[in-house]
Amino acid sequence: MLDLVLFTIAWIVGSVLLEWLFHALNQYGTYFYTASSQAVDGEHAVAFILTILAPVIAFVVVMLIYNFIRFRARAGDTNLRSRHQFRTNKLFIGVWVLVSIGLNLLFFVHPSASALEQMFNSEQARLNRQDLEVDVVARQWQWFFSYPQYGISSAQDANGNATLYLPVNRNVKFVLRSYDPWHTYDPYIGVIHGFWIPAFGLKQDIIPGETRYMYVHTSKVTSYDVNPMVRVQCTEVCGPGHPYMEAPVHVVSAGDFQTWVKKQLKLQSD
Amino acid sequence: MSSTFAGTSESFLRKGRRMLPPVVRGLFWAAIGFFVVNTLVSQALDRTPFAPYVTKVSVTFGWAAATCGWLLGLGAWELVVRPYFGKPVEWEVPNDWRRYFMMSLDHKVVGLQYMVSSVSGFFIAGLAAMLMRLELMNSSLWTFPTPNAYLSTVGIHGTIMMFSFGTVMLVSGFGNYLIPLMIGSNSSAFPRVSAISQWLLPAGIITVALSPILGTWTTGWRGYAPLAEQDPNGIVFYYLGVFAMTLSSLLVSINLTATILFKRAKGLTWNRIPMYAWGILAASLLNIIWIPEIEMTFILALVSNVASLPLFAQIGTPLTYMEVFWLFGHPEVYIVVVPAFALWQEFLPVMGQKTLFGRAWGVLGLVFVMMFSGLVWAHHMFTNMRDDQMLPFSFFTEMISIPTGFAFLTSIGTVWKSKLRLTTPTLLVFMSMFNFLIGGVTGVMLADPVINLQAHDTFFVVGHFHYTIIGAMVFTFMAAAYYWLPKFSGRMYSEFWGKVGAIWVFVAFNCAFGQFLLIGLRGMNRWVPVYPPYLRNMNFEISLFAFLLGLGFLFNLVHIVWMWRYGKPAKANPWNAKTLEWQSTAMPGETNFNPPPEVLTGFYDYSDEQPVWKPESPVEVS
Repeated sequence: MLDLVLFTIAWIVGSVLLEWLFHALNQYGTYFYTASSQAVDGEHAVAFILTILAPVIAFVVVMLIYNFIRFRARAGDTNLRSRHQFRTNKLFIGVWVLVSIGLNLLFFVHPSASALEQMFNSEQARLNRQDLEVDVVARQWQWFFSYPQYGISSAQDANGNATLYLPVNRNVKFVLRSYDPWHTYDPYIGVIHGFWIPAFGLKQDIIPGETRYMYVHTSKVTSYDVNPMVRVQCTEVCGPGHPYMEAPVHVVSAGDFQTWVKKQLKLQSD
Repeated sequence: MSSTFAGTSESFLRKGRRMLPPVVRGLFWAAIGFFVVNTLVSQALDRTPFAPYVTKVSVTFGWAAATCGWLLGLGAWELVVRPYFGKPVEWEVPNDWRRYFMMSLDHKVVGLQYMVSSVSGFFIAGLAAMLMRLELMNSSLWTFPTPNAYLSTVGIHGTIMMFSFGTVMLVSGFGNYLIPLMIGSNSSAFPRVSAISQWLLPAGIITVALSPILGTWTTGWRGYAPLAEQDPNGIVFYYLGVFAMTLSSLLVSINLTATILFKRAKGLTWNRIPMYAWGILAASLLNIIWIPEIEMTFILALVSNVASLPLFAQIGTPLTYMEVFWLFGHPEVYIVVVPAFALWQEFLPVMGQKTLFGRAWGVLGLVFVMMFSGLVWAHHMFTNMRDDQMLPFSFFTEMISIPTGFAFLTSIGTVWKSKLRLTTPTLLVFMSMFNFLIGGVTGVMLADPVINLQAHDTFFVVGHFHYTIIGAMVFTFMAAAYYWLPKFSGRMYSEFWGKVGAIWVFVAFNCAFGQFLLIGLRGMNRWVPVYPPYLRNMNFEISLFAFLLGLGFLFNLVHIVWMWRYGKPAKANPWNAKTLEWQSTAMPGETNFNPPPEVLTGFYDYSDEQPVWKPESPVEVS
């Protein structure tokens, strides 16, 4: 009985400490830097799981430490065996099994299914009539961004490097394809790439021969110069050029975006 | 103790047959096989413009011939080929150090051979990891000349770690040595199968480690097509080496499954089977189910590569390779950890001298993890699957934590109110449980598709699976090495230095891989020797702890090897365990039980002093 009381107190203290730690972590931001509503959703999912699991983690860790200290064999103890020999404890096992099933069902409903439903909704065509469409082509080892609605065939900065400009507070639909625009006749040249913008909180693989989509909703004005997490990064290994396959991202106001579009069109016509 | 295998050396001499030492003979025939077949293919059968001596095609056939020559030279000729044609088995194993350098029919010798091969693989792959961490201390290329060289190192690290250590050490190494002993048998079911399979392992390790001879390969341990089809020829040695190593595991699993099913001592009913045997049975069944699948995949990929078929290219189906790889790849990680779970439940009742708690739940956990493991693979592919596939795979991935939790349930219940001896194995099992808890919590997060889409292919995932594999399997392996050292060597390790070693690796491991989780979320993606400079400081720090971890493993190795030789002599049953392996004092080359044992009761009940077994009474011949 004494052990149960002592352990429970230790467990509660451990849980509170861990909740405090996780709370601080979630306040700081487990995704470090977020610039889209999808990233914020993901961060909330992490926060929910950590908050619910804190007492479970505390239970196991406190149990390990408590057992280790409290039930250690003392030096000079002649009787090697423990006085307590039991094979089972129906209450403990029953609670354990039910709680672990319950927690997993909970996590499946929320955040897994609920957040996925949001993601699937954001991909519904009827909700995306005003989307900005960006065609993304990945080849070894380069990104191409084109804006069919604006007639920009390949967005570039002044040095000719691919660059991605997005207006803030807009739904963006990325159309993802992997092929080499200069060698379209070669079926062996396309490999799998990964399209990731760390600050946007999600990624999609780009498969040769398939067209895939990714939807984000930009939520703040930012750029690669503000935080290096605002960049396009290839995440699926695609050969020796893989680490160099990155491009800066700029999320700008609607007005600045229009200015940028005009500049691109002028660059293109020169 | 009588000697089973040494008695015939005189007759061996009398016949006047002399042969080279088997390893030399194996190397000799491997060289002959390679040169003959490679020359035949590259110069005659498949001559290409300018007739280079080694081509992709010729090296594939040459390697197959070399491996056959290697196995035949080491004893397969006498053990398999000649008996197949009706000749008697003439294979004399001298009862001294030489038995470790040839095919042996003693499961204890095979176990030790496997352990040495496997640990060698661990340190070769570990060296590769150290080189990777050295490179990552700086955000630009500075250790490796090209990204290809770095990516080949990544591939060599992962491949050798997984296929020669992770899936091998606890199953083929400890399994071969201990499973026949623990079930009261004098040999495994098919001793010749394990004798042969052991020698496939060093062949596989060397093949993968030397793959840069043929050219770099950039795919990492998964050999992802379609990228693999562009890779220089090194990828050929990846497929061939992995084929050898997985074939080795498959053969051992068939042998150990048959051993557990058919070679149990009298009275060792299903209710009394040791926990470790349950773990090995579950892992072996996974091997038997999934290794043929992945070997077929590697053969397809190799053919696709060598013969330039477009199976996985843009005009084929690029995702097929990924699907079939992970169909095997996820059960693979349970092959790694299920024996570790079983070992927690093996060691804790002994160390606490207390009856195993909820044994049925422990067994249920092992078996259900095994059965669920085939239902979760596509969680590796949330970034490239259809939306409607996400929820089922997310569901099963989350659910697999329930049977996994049963290993914690039984372990915690067993130590509660026990008299826990704080030995090095106890400490390492506790550390292992802590590490796997972190691995499990990060696993639940990764099972959530929305979080997975951010964490996939970042160092968060790398941290997660190192927590499950190093954290659970390697720490438990170290516990097992200390626990059974008195069994293997008759000598005891130093409790002080053992604990120093355990704490050393625990601190270094958590400081290194804990930061992997954070740096992954901060935007560090995988397979990059070059990364944005804002990640440099954290990578630098991780590398320092990684070097500390490498040194820690080396320290434990030195300690164990030293104590194997010079440790204090140990008692026959130093932990006061009830399982059968401690009831035999047989060393390699000696018979385990004579007469065979008869098991009277389960091994995990510490409530009474009744004997667990008695020598079986001689069978009356009518």
